[in-house]
Amino acid sequence: MSSRKMFARKTVLTLVCLLPAMPGWSKVLLHWTQPSVPPAATMGIKEILVFWDAEALIRTAHRQGYRVYAEVPVAMAPAMVRISVQNELAGIVLNPGDSQPGQVDQTLLQLRSAYPRLPVLVLDAKAKQPQMKGQLVIKKDGILQVSSPTAQPWIDSNLALIRLDQAFRPAQTPLYEFQWDLDDSLQREQGPDTADYLLAVAEAGAFHADLILDLHPKLQNDLLQNNTAAWAVFNQIKRYLAFSSRADKDAGQPEANVGVITDTYQNSYEPVNLFARHNIPFRVLKTSDLRPQNLENFDSLVVFATPDERATAAIADFAAQGGIAVLVGWRGSYPWQSAQSVPAGEHSVSYAWGKGRVIELLALPVTDPEVFAQDVRRLLEKDKVLISLWNALTTVAVPYRVPGSGKEVVELVNYAQEPLRVQVQVKGSFSSILYETPETGCCESLTPVQRGGFTEFVVPSLRIAGRVHLAGGTPATR
Amino acid sequence: MWQTMTVRFMRWNRRLAVSLTCASAALALTGASPPTAPFVHKKKYVMGTVFEIVAYGKSLPQASVAIDQAFQEILRLDQVMSDYKADSALSRLNRSAHSHPESVPPDLYRVIEEALRYSRLSGGKFDIAVGPLVNLWKAALRGDRTPSTAEAERLRACVGYQNVELLPPDRVRFLSPCVQIDLGAIGKGYALDRAADVLRSSGLSRALLNAGGSTILAMGAPPGRAGWLVHLRDPSNQVDPQVMLFDSSVSTSEQTQPSLLSQESAGHIIDPDTGVPARTPFAVSTVTKTATASDALSTTLLLMGPEKGRDLVKGVADTAAIWISADGQLKVASSGPQILLPDGMQVGQERQNRIR
Repeated sequence: MSSRKMFARKTVLTLVCLLPAMPGWSKVLLHWTQPSVPPAATMGIKEILVFWDAEALIRTAHRQGYRVYAEVPVAMAPAMVRISVQNELAGIVLNPGDSQPGQVDQTLLQLRSAYPRLPVLVLDAKAKQPQMKGQLVIKKDGILQVSSPTAQPWIDSNLALIRLDQAFRPAQTPLYEFQWDLDDSLQREQGPDTADYLLAVAEAGAFHADLILDLHPKLQNDLLQNNTAAWAVFNQIKRYLAFSSRADKDAGQPEANVGVITDTYQNSYEPVNLFARHNIPFRVLKTSDLRPQNLENFDSLVVFATPDERATAAIADFAAQGGIAVLVGWRGSYPWQSAQSVPAGEHSVSYAWGKGRVIELLALPVTDPEVFAQDVRRLLEKDKVLISLWNALTTVAVPYRVPGSGKEVVELVNYAQEPLRVQVQVKGSFSSILYETPETGCCESLTPVQRGGFTEFVVPSLRIAGRVHLAGGTPATR
Repeated sequence: MWQTMTVRFMRWNRRLAVSLTCASAALALTGASPPTAPFVHKKKYVMGTVFEIVAYGKSLPQASVAIDQAFQEILRLDQVMSDYKADSALSRLNRSAHSHPESVPPDLYRVIEEALRYSRLSGGKFDIAVGPLVNLWKAALRGDRTPSTAEAERLRACVGYQNVELLPPDRVRFLSPCVQIDLGAIGKGYALDRAADVLRSSGLSRALLNAGGSTILAMGAPPGRAGWLVHLRDPSNQVDPQVMLFDSSVSTSEQTQPSLLSQESAGHIIDPDTGVPARTPFAVSTVTKTATASDALSTTLLLMGPEKGRDLVKGVADTAAIWISADGQLKVASSGPQILLPDGMQVGQERQNRIR
């Protein structure tokens, strides 16, 4: 194939992949696997997801009043054109499994050609069940226990995955699904706790991502049998679905003053995961997006990719203007190396460059992502920290802001699933603080305290999900 | 028995992931059979970390209810021993015992009594009365500036376990105006021991209780097993030491890892002798009969180091300790329990009678 034809083909492929995408399609889809389903009016939801080859269920669900989405693995996508219920579908979700990105894009193109009127979305199946992890590992051959020094609670959060997806597949709202981690006999029998469902819904809403939520077969069957306890559980889930759907999707971009430059999930995932864990507001950029105008809001850059000449110039310019750039794991000849270096950590050197500096960390992958994340947070001068939490080792907070609006929203998720009293400090001065939760509704007024360009307040009780609306003041400027 | 072995390995630092991989392999090698009996596993965030309990019972609901009751006990003790909660018994003590003897709940009196015993045993290396120093360095860990030597020295002069006086049956008095108690090095262990009491009173005899990975307490053994196999912290990722717990406990202490991007150093384990974070290449794991003892001794033995620590281990019945550094230095001491090393070398006296 000639290079011109190849270029044209790639261009068409890219356009076809991008055009039908619906960035505003932000929702939680319940994944139903049982042969029958209660009517949509009874369930109080309008959309449902089923496997692509469950034709009878697709037909039934459609008849019951649902908009039905079908999940299809890449390998089975060609067979999907043969199913007889295409007209009953409202959308298709493509599960890439272990397929290569090129194969996924090709399949996406085929599906969008075959179903031009249906939204076809790509699922990220690398997600984990959001949870506060323990140290015990339950396996088929026993219970593994490894002793360690006391550590902060380990949180399995999908924020890093979502931020990486936003950079790598910008035309689509990140969409993910996870398998429940049911490790003991009681859980396998009963299914996830109610709080586990609520946490999953809360997380997707707080991070402005789309979620496919697997309902445990027992819960599905209990709902079908009109079990009162099951309906009580489901009504709680619905309350959280409503709360998440009220997340202001027009609240703007997540606030971020740390830029992460990477072109792959590898090498950067764990450090980025720990950034999320330590409430470091970050945004992921690909190397091709490393231009001065894209770096204006950042105070720090963490670079995992090897920069080309243009990217190197952007990094040097960023540091010269007062930023701190941390370059992870690559060696080369760069302009800042003409400045005198001073040792930083064990495997790092620091160069003063203009008003800022560049730190080169030679280890890749990062040997200790936990320490690295704490280092990155400490590199930010105190007056540049966008958000700080106390008494919140199990809480992830994401601030959102529309520039120029004078308003900010902070989404809070507590992975411990039990009420916490959380102290919050947000950069900027706000006079009005309103707090809402799925349990209490909107809104309780909180008392702000202004201190040195920051607003402090106390969230009285954060069980799983909470949303803080800040207004009437001056958001942080950089 | 005391044996020293120094092994140097290339530094390899993938930590938990690698440890777990090793653990899987080790389980396969030991021929561990699948846990066929049903068990319940629950976790709870308390005392700033994750507590977990795995328990086998006559029925799943029985085990589940018993675990919930054990967690309630830990929550109750948090309300007694927390230095973060302003309304805890410890916080009240820290506010008022400088001016007059303060009556405290029995659990607080008991844990302070135990702690002072370890302080005397270790010549002050274990010290719960260094709260102000701990707080100073905690702030540095959070990103505040590193404290000056003068600040640390000023605080060091007025803290110390000798400044805590017990007045039986239930009162405590501070003999210095700035001393404060921090139970971070013993409180979780004490809570595990009391939680185990609750499980026993509920009729359970096979359980593993874990406070954030740093203190683990075993009751009995899983069905069909000799004990609960625990893989010990190994900064070198090369040794994979293990211990088989049966009605016993293990705790691990290690200083906060040094910064990757800065030469400033902080740490959460403070040496009472210097007033600054301890500098040691070792992680230490300590095996004892109770979680209170293992928790207290692991910090103590980290601060004492292997050379001085071995004498302490020899002087305390049913105790073993292992020190391992990232570069592969390995030292083991025992007055009873075995610490299992992968090459078949076993350190410690044979105690097969306790491993059924």
